[in-house]
Parts: sequence; structure tokens; C-alpha cells
Amino acid sequence: MKKRKAKEHLLAGVFILPALIAFCIFMFWPLIRTIYLSFFDWNMIKPVKEFVGLQNYIDLFKDEVTYKILGNTVIYIAILLVLNFVAPYVVSFLLTFIIKKGKSFYKTAFFLPSVISLVVGSVLYVWILNPISGPVAIILKNFGMQLPTWSKTDGLVIVILSLITSWKVFGYNFIIVLGGVMGVSQEVIEAAKIDNISDFKIFTQIVLPMSSATGVYVLIMTIIQGLQYVYTPITVVTQGGPNNASSNLIYQSYHEAFTLYQTGDASALSVITMALFIVLLLLEFKFVEKGVYYEN
Amino acid sequence: MKRKLRRLSAVLLAASMVMTGCGATESSGKATTTTIAKNETAKSETIKSDEKITIEYWHCNAEAQGGAAVEELVSKFNEENDHIEVIAKYNPDMYAGLMKNLQAEVAVGNTPAVVQIGWSYLEYFSNNFSYLTPQDAIAKYDAENSTYLTDNFLPNILNLAVNTAGEQVGIPYSLSSPVLYYNVDLFREAGLSEEGPQTWEQVYEYSKIINEKTGKYGCYIEDDNWGAQALLESNGAQFIATDEAGNMYTDIASEGGIEAMQMWADMIAEGLIPHVTWDEGCQAFNAGEVAMLYTTIARRASVQSTAQFEAAAVNSPVWEGKERVIPAGGCMLAITAQEEEEQAAAWEFMKYLYSIEGMATWTIGTGYVPPRKDVADSPEGLKSFLEENEMMKAATTQMDGVVSWASFPGDAGLEIDQILSDTQDQILGGSITAKDGLAAAQDKINALLGN
Repeated sequence: MKKRKAKEHLLAGVFILPALIAFCIFMFWPLIRTIYLSFFDWNMIKPVKEFVGLQNYIDLFKDEVTYKILGNTVIYIAILLVLNFVAPYVVSFLLTFIIKKGKSFYKTAFFLPSVISLVVGSVLYVWILNPISGPVAIILKNFGMQLPTWSKTDGLVIVILSLITSWKVFGYNFIIVLGGVMGVSQEVIEAAKIDNISDFKIFTQIVLPMSSATGVYVLIMTIIQGLQYVYTPITVVTQGGPNNASSNLIYQSYHEAFTLYQTGDASALSVITMALFIVLLLLEFKFVEKGVYYEN
Repeated sequence: MKRKLRRLSAVLLAASMVMTGCGATESSGKATTTTIAKNETAKSETIKSDEKITIEYWHCNAEAQGGAAVEELVSKFNEENDHIEVIAKYNPDMYAGLMKNLQAEVAVGNTPAVVQIGWSYLEYFSNNFSYLTPQDAIAKYDAENSTYLTDNFLPNILNLAVNTAGEQVGIPYSLSSPVLYYNVDLFREAGLSEEGPQTWEQVYEYSKIINEKTGKYGCYIEDDNWGAQALLESNGAQFIATDEAGNMYTDIASEGGIEAMQMWADMIAEGLIPHVTWDEGCQAFNAGEVAMLYTTIARRASVQSTAQFEAAAVNSPVWEGKERVIPAGGCMLAITAQEEEEQAAAWEFMKYLYSIEGMATWTIGTGYVPPRKDVADSPEGLKSFLEENEMMKAATTQMDGVVSWASFPGDAGLEIDQILSDTQDQILGGSITAKDGLAAAQDKINALLGN
């Protein structure tokens, strides 16, 4: 009996190994390396890395740009949550329990944009939303309105870049949430409807709690993946401008490392970013995970 | 069944051991030796096949931006000689992208033979990479042509590739300068001279008239450090100046610099010119929504092929009563090959690229201005091309005003570029006046330059 168990353990280990190795090489090793580099002043080429202790971190906290970028990151998260978490949820609910006709058409239509590359999408949007000569600007002009020069306007630039990103993320999140919402038993909903419960209440008090396992996954992915996806339109459209108004933590780390070649500053910023995400995850475990309903 | 499983797990285990093994060598800094070994095997293979030496040429020219010309030049060179095989490698995202890739490649101990280095990376490249200067290459591999550089290039052009330490790092290859494109149809509609404006004061005035008469924007001015340098330095500011003691400092917040920058910001605030990104600005000009476009001559082909109106180009405008000062855009070629054989091959390839025919192919394919003497007037060169292409004249007739694109020395060089572009965003966005913005930037930059 014992022998068999040991064998099972070994086998399990063997099966995990390939994934574990990949993780070690591509996740854990770079992670350790990043932490290590954050204590040095280096530009990736100089033969000598100069040890500077915590100086890179101190510089970051002294720099007002860091706070601006932190603020931007929070705004990005808020907008992305509305566009890619709340909206897919509502749409899924409508599609599953309210709308009766053309369901498969909507599913395809919502999902389709997410197969197109984000770079292509960004370039397309630069043209569509060109504030002077783009089709949207021309249509608005006919109504006597003007499209603001969003690419150079603080705040607005974040909204538009988030919209471009949503083009990609919305469809994917929508399909997953839809799966969760469709898993809610039809009988419960029918029963509620017979009792004359409003759609809003059905949504908030039945569908949301019963699909919360999927919901939490999408919530986390929206935040983490969303910030990574936003990177592409930032690179293509604004390069973080105007005056860092569209940069976020992830773009800024990249910018420090590969445009300014300040490996130390970039690593320190990455480490801080990681710390922030860990805090977010802990909060999530503490407050959200508890209330999650797992069917099995 | 069990045996099968066991066998399977053994295979898996073995495979994973190999994988970890690889990972360990890669990460413990032995990558250099691996690549050298790779190079050697590659070489011994090439020696077997006709003893050809293979070198890499790194460029930034996408298919539509001269990539076809690169292919043409490289394949012609490969056909015409029997001992060198050049492989052209395209690097996306222009000179910044190439710099990133070079950085990564050198970090693992690998280098291409010939690379395009953008002007703004002159200092960074020469401070951080090992390269062979063109004069050294000539001395080593082409001694009978010792005056090649001075024979074929104008001194102010050669000077573009000299770093602050006084070393000739490479040879100018792609040369561009800013010109003013304009929409002749819109000019006509607004009742303006079809000759185009000569001064920035006129650009301002014309923009007002165009805005009034046609409701369109007057002008889009390329809003990066390059465009700013042309505008400010033509009015007396200096991005990089040197005092008597040889210390470098910046003088962007001089009276002329502030005046130029403030006029630019005013035009935006008055709604005469749009404040958008370069892509958007060029699109808007090509769509006929903006009457003038101030940007690089390298954009000529795109303007000619997309614009649905009659387009023309004039020299970069000057400020009334002042000289024209315009930064060169484009790049130089530098030799990064480390081994003698490769260096010799690299020089031979470079000489081919700088031949009159090579330069002509390059100019026609890209719209850059030839850096070399004799190309413009030679019948094998560009004589007929320039006669047909009126727009090119805007750039070829202003070569005497060309100066280096400011490349700040030292480790903080790239950081200074960032300060400049952030400041520009603030001023043009109207959150700060030109006077305050430039003064603050000047103080920060001078502190970084060690003053």
C-alpha cells in the first residue's frame, strides 16, 4: 500500500516536472534575476554592474513620475474592470436569460474581434479615431461636433487606449463569463421568475453568486492581463505620452529598461509592481475568495 | 502497462534533465562560449562550400521604407563577388529597435558586421559598443585608398558621425532633413502664393488665413526632439553647446528658443494647427485636412502616393533674418564585426553601398539625400531622377544648413532626450509656458551634464 502511494507520488512528480521546469526557466529565474538587478546600476552592456543598494528604489519613490504612473495604472484598472469585467457579465446575463433570438450571432460577433492582433487593432484605431481626418471625426463634424485630440489629452488618452484594448479582451472574457452564467441552473431562474423577482435582482442575487468562481477568475485576469495588453496600444499609439499621461507600470518598466537602458530602475519598478500585485491578490483571497461558490 | 508507464517516465525524466541542463548553461553566463563555438562551426561549413565568408548587415528598412532597396543592393553585391555572402537582417521599430536588438545580441557575445546607427544613438553606441572606425578599416584592409573619406564626402557631412570625443564612429549613410510639404489646392483656395512659405512667421500668418478661408488646419509640425531642434536652433537656441573650457551644456531656454517654442504652442492654443501624434498628423495632411506638413524628406514617397491633391515641398522655413539650422535625420553605417576576416568583408560591402550606383539605388528606394559627393550630378547616379522629382530639391538644396541631431553624451544621454520630449508635451499641451518649461528643462539637463 505504502509502496503504491510512493509510486503515485513519483509519477505525479514526473508529470508536473515539464511544467515546473518551464516555470523555473521562464518565470522564477527571471524573477530572481530581476530582484538581483534592482540593486545595481547597469545598462545591460557595461562589463561592471555597480552595486547601489536601495538607491534605485529611493530614486523611484522620489520621482514624481512614479506617482503619476501609479495613478494612471489605477485609472486603467478601473476602466478595464468596467469594460472587460462588468460589461461582459451584463451582456452574458442578457444573452442567457433575457434575449431569445439570434444568440449565436451575438456570441460570434462579440468574440470575433479578439482573434485579431492587438497591433493591427491599434493601427486601425489610430486611423478610425484620427481626431482630424478619421471617419469618426468626419461623422461628428456633420453633426457640428469635434473629436477631441485624445492622443494628446491627459485622461482621455487612457480611456481611448483602454477601449482599443477592450476590443481584444472583451470577447475572450465574454466567452468565459458566458460559460459561467450559462452554468447557473435554468430551474432556479424559472422559479425566481414565477415569484415575480425583478431581472436586476435575479442578476445580482442569483446569477452573480452562483457564477462567482468564473467571475473571480475573470476579475483577476482583467486586472493583470489587462495591464499587459494595454502595453501594445501604448507602444503603437503614444509611447507613454503626452508627458507620461498614458504610461502604466508595465509600460514604464519596459521603457526604462529598453528605451533608456536603465536596467536597475526598470527592475526596481518591476519589483514594486509585483509587490503591488501580491497585495492585490492577498486582498482578493481575504475578501473575495471566501464568498465564492464552487459547484463541486 | 506498468512497464510502459515506467519507460515513459524515464524518457520524460531524461528529456527534462536535458532541458534543465540547457537552462543552466544558458543562465550561468557561458553563452559566449556557446555562440563562439556556433560561429566556428558555421565558418568551417562555409569554408567547405566555396570558402565564402558570411556577414550580417542590420537595417531598419521595412518593405515599404527602403527594404526593397536593401534587398536589391545585397543580392547584387552577393552576385558580383565570390567570397562574401551578406545576410540582410531587418529590425522593426527603427533605430531604437535595432539598438535594442544589438544590445541583446552583444549581451550574448554575438555581433553583426555592419549596422545602421541612428544619429541620436551616436554617443550611446560609441560609449558602449566595440566598433572599428572607418579610417582604421581603411588603414587595415584598404591602405591604398587612405584618402577615401575626404575624397568622397563633404566635411560637414562626415562630421555628423563624429562623437563628442572627436572620433569618426561611422560613415553617414541615410541622410534626411525636414522640409515643408504643402497642399497647393488648399493654398489656391485660400488665395495664398503657390510658392509656399519661406519663414516661420509666414507659416503662422498662412495658417491663420487658411483657417479663416477654408476651415482647415494650417500646419502639422513633427512634434519630437527632431522637429523641435530645427525650430529652436534656427532661432538661435542650442541643444548642445560647449563653453571655453570644453564643458557641454544646453542652451534651449535662450530668448530665441523660448520665442520659437511659444509661437508653436500659441498656434496650437489658437486652434490653427493640430496637437496630435506624428502618425495622425501625416494622415490628416494626406487626407487634405491640414494644409502644411513639416516633417522629414523621407516621407516624400508616402505623400506622393497617398495625397489626392497637388502637393509640393519647400526648404525648411527660416526665422526672419536668421540662418537655417536643421538636424540631420537618418543613420550612419558602423562596423561592429570583431574578427579580421569579417571586418575586411564588412568594409568591402560598405564600399559597395557607398559607390555611386549603390547610393543612387538607395536614394531612389528611400527618398534619403545622398551623403556622398558626385551622386547628384552623375548620369549613373541621380541626375535624371532629381530632374523628375521636384520635391527632392527641397532637401538637396539645404544641405549647407544640416547639423547633427543632438545626441547627448554620457550615461544620462537618453534620459535627457526623455526630459526634452516630456517638456515639449507640457508646453504644447498648454500646461506650462515655453519660458518656464524650457528653463526648468535646461536646469535639469545641465545638472545631468554635470554643470
